[in-house]
Amino acid sequence: MTAAIVARRLSKVYPRGRISALLEVDLEIPQGDVFGLIGRNGAGKTTFVRVAATQLLPTGGTMSVLGHDVVDEADRIRPRIAAVPQESRPLYFLTVDQLVYLYLRLRGLERADARERTDRVLAELDLTALAHRLVSRLSGGMRRRAMVAMVLASDAELLFLDEPTTGLDPIARREVWAAIRRAQREKRTVLLTTHYLDEAEALSARLALLDGGRVRLEGTPAELRQRVRLPYRVSVEGVFTRGELEPYGEVSDVNGGHLVFAQERDARELAMAALGRGARVAMAPVTLEDIFLQVVGRRLDDEPAAAEGA
Amino acid sequence: MSGRHRLRAILTLAYLNGVVPIRTQPLYLLNVVASPLSFLFFVTIASNGVLLDYAVGGGMIMMMLSVGTSLQTDISHYKQDLKFQDVVVASPVAAWVYVGGMALSELVYSLPGLAVFIFLWAINGWATLFGALTLAGVLLLVWAFASALGFTLATYFEDVRETFVFSPLISLGLSVLPPVYYPIQHLPAAIRPFAYLSPTTYAADLIHGAVGLGGPSLVGAAIDWSVLLGFTLALLFLASVKARWREP
Repeated sequence: MTAAIVARRLSKVYPRGRISALLEVDLEIPQGDVFGLIGRNGAGKTTFVRVAATQLLPTGGTMSVLGHDVVDEADRIRPRIAAVPQESRPLYFLTVDQLVYLYLRLRGLERADARERTDRVLAELDLTALAHRLVSRLSGGMRRRAMVAMVLASDAELLFLDEPTTGLDPIARREVWAAIRRAQREKRTVLLTTHYLDEAEALSARLALLDGGRVRLEGTPAELRQRVRLPYRVSVEGVFTRGELEPYGEVSDVNGGHLVFAQERDARELAMAALGRGARVAMAPVTLEDIFLQVVGRRLDDEPAAAEGA
Repeated sequence: MSGRHRLRAILTLAYLNGVVPIRTQPLYLLNVVASPLSFLFFVTIASNGVLLDYAVGGGMIMMMLSVGTSLQTDISHYKQDLKFQDVVVASPVAAWVYVGGMALSELVYSLPGLAVFIFLWAINGWATLFGALTLAGVLLLVWAFASALGFTLATYFEDVRETFVFSPLISLGLSVLPPVYYPIQHLPAAIRPFAYLSPTTYAADLIHGAVGLGGPSLVGAAIDWSVLLGFTLALLFLASVKARWREP
């Protein structure tokens, strides 16, 4: 499969404060699928997206997008991409319909094509009833959904969605997911950054975990699970002491019991032992959150890293 | 993007940022019109009508400068607060198309004010073909350099509040202190040379010819046009190489 984005030793040091947001990142993002970038605040996700979307110049290494260099050939990349930046907000004096339609006209689409695409995306994202409402009168989540509608309706081959569902309620998130899946079915490439690991796992064919400006893990969700040292999680309630569980793997205390990360064989043994003692037990492959915790050593929602804003 | 698509993008931006907000909130128009009309009123009353012709010419120049300062505020706000510039950068729309469309949208706001000044220009018996062409040419150049200046500065601001510092300074330096609303002879001789540092001095000199004040000689007019055109080209060039379309 050809790559939509290829980064080689890509670095970015922000001139103010000399903050290193990306440190020699090597990453290939295949065409025609959803690629998830996950990481804590300041991990470098947004910087990576902004360099790829030709909004920000790198300070080292190379990056090509759709076969063109981001520094020297940005003009050849831009007609083929669309982006919803992090914390972007729609122009508040427009209606939802105007926001999408005028964005498409701005990109050069013909009137009839722009109209058809606008109507279709508003219906898909359940925004038709709000089409003629001013954006300024929408909730934060609705505004975010209108921004996503704007780029999904575009003719771009490569979409950058930087935390597109932040602030959305669970139902609205699912509607955005459905629209992203439609983009995937149309063989468009989506680079998605998100704080929601369930979202990354549900939508992404491949994922990269960024931490401190470096790629720590990359692959399909299944591959990521295989690469972690302890690929199974067993939650045990009640009867066991921490000391009894430690031989099986790494133990964490959780509400009313313990969580054990273990190799498959140890996890099975523990599950059987727990069942034998009448304890409530659940065994499953590790979640992305667990992988994150094992690789980075902190949970995703722990306090942010030093390179804030990266 | 083909030429047709670029023109479409410029007109879309002009509609999006010019026509739509005015239809939603017509009071926006007063913002651009208020200062030039205030000056017109003040100068005319204070001079017992003697300086009406200067006030009309000055008002037109100030209207065009207001386009630049409004553009500066809008572009800064859209870039910093809404991330709209990032949305546009990641699209087929080139920087100059964006600035052109946004500058045209700001011109929409100034149309009622311009209409008032053109009405005054016409009813005072100053309307001639030469005058109309001079006005159109001068105002076009002032609009172009004010827009280039506004855009370039706006891309460096990190907060929209910085525009509140620069806009009054630009207004002061280009339309209040230079002899735009009054004859240059009213300036003390010692500081008169400094007036020639401002491009609006040359613009005003040309416009004075169009509002029945005699205007410059042929050589003077050639110098005025050359300086105004040179300044405009210099600022357009500066915008093309220094404005931050993509962040460093």
